[in-house]
Amino acid sequence: MKLDVNALGTFYRMAREGAGLAAGRLTHMLGVETQLGVTKLNFMRGEEIRHDFDDSTEKVGVRVKLTGAIEGYSIVVFERESALQVVETLLSEAGPDAAVDADVGDVDAFDEMTESAATEVGHIMNSGFIDGWADVLEAVIDVSTPEFVEGQTAEPFFGDIDEAPSDDDLALLFQSRIETVGTEVGFNHYLLPKRESMSRLLDRLRTSDGIEYDKLEGFDRMAERGAKEVAETATTLTGIDTSVEIRRLNFVSLEAIPEQVANETLVGAAFEFDGMPSGYLLFLFDEESAHEIVDAMVPMAVDEDGFGEMGTSAIKELGNIMASGFLDGWANVLDTTIDHSTPEFIHDIGAAAVDPVIIQLGENQDFAFVFDTIVVADGREFDCQVYAIPDESDLERALNNLDVDRIEETPTTAEFQEVDNT
Amino acid sequence: MKTYGTEPGAPTPVQVGISELAVSDGDDTLKSYGLGSCLAIALYDPKTGIGGLAHAMLPDGDAAENSDRKPGKYADTAIRALLRRMVEQGAHYTDVKAKIAGGSDMFEFESFGEGVGQRNAAAAKAELEKLGVPLEGEDVGGDYGRTVEFTPGTGTLIVKSSNSDNGVTEL
Repeated sequence: MKLDVNALGTFYRMAREGAGLAAGRLTHMLGVETQLGVTKLNFMRGEEIRHDFDDSTEKVGVRVKLTGAIEGYSIVVFERESALQVVETLLSEAGPDAAVDADVGDVDAFDEMTESAATEVGHIMNSGFIDGWADVLEAVIDVSTPEFVEGQTAEPFFGDIDEAPSDDDLALLFQSRIETVGTEVGFNHYLLPKRESMSRLLDRLRTSDGIEYDKLEGFDRMAERGAKEVAETATTLTGIDTSVEIRRLNFVSLEAIPEQVANETLVGAAFEFDGMPSGYLLFLFDEESAHEIVDAMVPMAVDEDGFGEMGTSAIKELGNIMASGFLDGWANVLDTTIDHSTPEFIHDIGAAAVDPVIIQLGENQDFAFVFDTIVVADGREFDCQVYAIPDESDLERALNNLDVDRIEETPTTAEFQEVDNT
Repeated sequence: MKTYGTEPGAPTPVQVGISELAVSDGDDTLKSYGLGSCLAIALYDPKTGIGGLAHAMLPDGDAAENSDRKPGKYADTAIRALLRRMVEQGAHYTDVKAKIAGGSDMFEFESFGEGVGQRNAAAAKAELEKLGVPLEGEDVGGDYGRTVEFTPGTGTLIVKSSNSDNGVTEL
């Protein structure tokens, strides 16, 4: 199985189109405004998908099996509270006569009627997604009868699916989010395709030689090494014990990247890197975390308003060392060298710091692989979002050159560089 | 970000995401968050109250192949698409005025060359001049981000800048 950017781009369009149809139908059904959140193609291990689900919140889902142009499972998952709220809205819309027995003002558990109402909503949304896919593919996708699933972990949602990836398998997962405007109701949609069915589609949609799917192992290893090095260097430099919370590889349209960044003032450092691959790397902290880091690194610093000279240089220094660690992690996996620029300090609205980068890449590409990492600390404020966005053609070349067999042996050694603060 | 709603004139401001554009004939507020080097282009016809906002990413759509599919992505094609949609809704071409904000140059990276933000602002000005649309106000350049809110009915463009010296500007 081989994939290329064109095929992934078509997949992205399908997911986006499907999410639009699903949102439209939800609006129609509930009479509320809805909006699309970010749509992503994730390359995730089974283990990570399970980890994602195990956040100890009660979730309900509606699952259908797909056959035809795409085989696999489509699952709409909502938090239990959201589901109940939707059911309440739906039943009260249907008028008091429709809900004689149910006290719709206070639905707090699923009975036969609310479960069937939730299933209906989930099914209509699943169908929206699938119709969007079928439209883009100009092909027929058949859908099974919907199944209502409830639980806290991934087990009830994916456990009994043969196609679900085992812990170490890398799966292509499509994720979209839909939210209602002004309320807290949100849904996640997952599409888990069968490997053979994906392979057939990829062959059809590919316009170049593409990348061998197995080489994606290299992607994943890059993400893993990079993230690990960042957490380690951050711990060494600040004395704050940090760990990698999330690391994942997304394939998204360039425009979707700033939408993902928190709509608040962030602090951090940006770099351009040069080699095979070249691209951009950003470390972003919320203001509180940044202050905590400055305190940890320069305890003698006077309490400056905002981030003065000391604060700025501390953040730049930390960013610089994390960047070296991250890119060394990559360079080791890819058996190459990657240089990076001196840090540019960021203290700005998150999206504004990201858009220059996507503009620059946007001259030659519409989509990007984003290595998305979150590093956190136990009991202290240290939320660091790392965005590494390589140039697409460089990355494709780098991966094609990769010898998959030697990935396992790669050691990681981060070298510390002196920062030139002038 | 696209909003799927049924009622026009809903109280929530319409968000215009990167590469998107929106036209309105009511008192809707059109909003774009976190513009760095991107450029917000606001066009309005003061007589009819019809106006629109684009959140352009790149300067030159005529040189790109996908500009017909995504006119809002490029400054030049975004201006033309806004104008066309406004005229379709009843605006008079000759009355239309423009305001722009954004286009800063956040980083001095080697690969960035002469500055993408500047190029976006320059491309928008050139296109407006070519089409004879007067530029009534601008807040462009610098090295900081901006969030804009545009009310077509009044033609007011509020620019909130992350730079504390500038704060909020009303164009």
